[in-house]
Amino acid sequence: MATTRTLKQPFSLKRYGIVVAFLGLCALVSLICQIRVMQGVWPVNVFLTVNNLMLILHQISVNGILAVGMTFVVISAGIDLSVGSVLAFAGMMAASFATRSTGVTPWSGVYFVAIPVLAALATGALCGAANGFIVSRFRIQPFIATLGMLLAARGMTMAVTGGNPISALSPEFRWFGTGRLFDVIPIPVVILAIVFVLAWVLLNKTVFGRYVYAVGGNEKSARTSGINTTSVLMWVYIVAGFLSGVAGIILTAKTGSAQTAAGTAYELDAIAAVVIGGASLSGGVGRLSGTFFGALIIGVMNNGLDILGVESFYQLIIKGALIVLAVIFDSRRQA
Amino acid sequence: MKTLIAAALATTSTLAVTAATAQEDPVRIAVLMYGNKAEFVQLMERYASEHPAVESGDVILTMYDGRYDASVQNDQGQMAINTMQDAIIINPMDFEANIDVVTMANDAGIPVIVTNARLNTTDMTSEVVSDDVQGGYLEAKDVLEKLGCEGNVVIIEGPKGGSGEIQRGQGNEQAIAECPEGAVTVLERKTANWSRAEALDLMQNWLSKHPGEIDGVIGQNDEMALGAIEAIKAAGLDVNDFAIAGIDGVTDALRAVKAGEMTSILQDARGQMQGSIDVALRAVKGDAYEPQSAIWEQYADDLSWDDGQNPRYDIPWTIVTTDNVDELLKDRK
Repeated sequence: MATTRTLKQPFSLKRYGIVVAFLGLCALVSLICQIRVMQGVWPVNVFLTVNNLMLILHQISVNGILAVGMTFVVISAGIDLSVGSVLAFAGMMAASFATRSTGVTPWSGVYFVAIPVLAALATGALCGAANGFIVSRFRIQPFIATLGMLLAARGMTMAVTGGNPISALSPEFRWFGTGRLFDVIPIPVVILAIVFVLAWVLLNKTVFGRYVYAVGGNEKSARTSGINTTSVLMWVYIVAGFLSGVAGIILTAKTGSAQTAAGTAYELDAIAAVVIGGASLSGGVGRLSGTFFGALIIGVMNNGLDILGVESFYQLIIKGALIVLAVIFDSRRQA
Repeated sequence: MKTLIAAALATTSTLAVTAATAQEDPVRIAVLMYGNKAEFVQLMERYASEHPAVESGDVILTMYDGRYDASVQNDQGQMAINTMQDAIIINPMDFEANIDVVTMANDAGIPVIVTNARLNTTDMTSEVVSDDVQGGYLEAKDVLEKLGCEGNVVIIEGPKGGSGEIQRGQGNEQAIAECPEGAVTVLERKTANWSRAEALDLMQNWLSKHPGEIDGVIGQNDEMALGAIEAIKAAGLDVNDFAIAGIDGVTDALRAVKAGEMTSILQDARGQMQGSIDVALRAVKGDAYEPQSAIWEQYADDLSWDDGQNPRYDIPWTIVTTDNVDELLKDRK
């Protein structure tokens, strides 16, 4: 307990730095919006409406959930490049059990809604287990192991239907993407909140969570001190895969179609959220609250730049600059 | 071991001779697709396998997946030439970078037909394409007619700088310019990279920015128009209050047309693919060849075969509305 506490950073500038950065970004976007209002271009500040803020949460739900899994992986000193592909594969498997179109796969049809959900979660967890097995048993670098899964899962996504999308999904399944709790809060936001709370408990209040930090901080000494590092790493990748399955359900239900190209390059946004949130790619450092704000910052940026009518290329430049700045800030502070 | 190989060789050569006496050697055509993740590409591949000459075994097709990478496609073009294919059909990834395939095929004396997308050269044997400017014009025209040439529209664009975005965008502009000046306002235009998920987020943001102001959505492909429809539904608005159109005629779009939610401009995958195979066969077999696909009959008014010698065949677009959607949906599984 005492050793792991030193690995975490109990009270630091970074903890607030990310919140300051987030508030600063929000202030900047709403300031520009306010200027437009004063110029008479817009009747109201469209950025600062409840609907728009709910929308931002809705839009970060998929990336936020992937980023939670990525946080576990990054703290364990690993990386998971396969989350986007696994998302697509899990979404395709789910859709095959929730579609009114027959014959896209030999088994396709509308099953009780728990079946497609379980199919996606199992697919995600199995892909994660494969990653974890290769990383922990064969001591293959996570970058390589999950690069393999990035390709393999994308291939399997296409193989399931011979490259076709699956649409005409049942309303019960689509509820996970389009439904609302009390007619207000979108279901993806509810799931995002549940995932964050459960993951926070797992990472901060359980022995497993402390082991993840320990393995990421120094695997050798963790092993010497009696931690089963193989098993810890295995479970870290299962968590990431499982959450890719959750994200796959949401994205598929939101768009109403499982597409073979779904989730392409989503791993990069997930890694970006984690890194902006202050986790270190060398392992042992990171917190879920940081990841949450990291995902929010990306979400506010995408939403704000759309609202301000900024061309998409500048969006990429700004996102790129932000990631690098976050890491520079982080390394200078640690030095 | 040697005898075994010799025996095997003898058997295969006898087989080859028998096949040759029964009918001509099959024509071997390499089909270079830019990728295989899109439904449209899947449709093209399916229609290719349904061409009468392919079904009868007169043609053997080899499909290549370009993996969305122009240089991969160029390598595959070289591979097709090295494996002595009789003709190449290419659906190119890149307007410029894939001109290499045409150059290589010309050097090797193999006919090369460009289909679906364009290449910035005139050196190919022939192009079998649909005019994207026309497609962009038709979809925007449909939206503007529904709005009576008055109101606010948004345009969801294809990947910036691609020939699809540029040409469909020109068509969009043409249709807008036909309305009285200032009657139609383009509130927003931005790319969603042909993706439904990206268009969903983009349209949500626009609806948030312009509450109650957007009247029409011009999606430069169907997937993005479908993303906009999902965004409208997610915002609790009525899709029928919007005029929405997309291009391509993918199955989901046809279903949305049937539900009265949008108009789709069908790009005829069968016309492009089977037309390409006929033109390729004409180039290989000479002027005795008669086209076998039903598409020449189907488009008899707008598209003439001209002995398969035209430098460019424009496969007509079909405006899909509730009137003709059932017929088209029957053709999809």
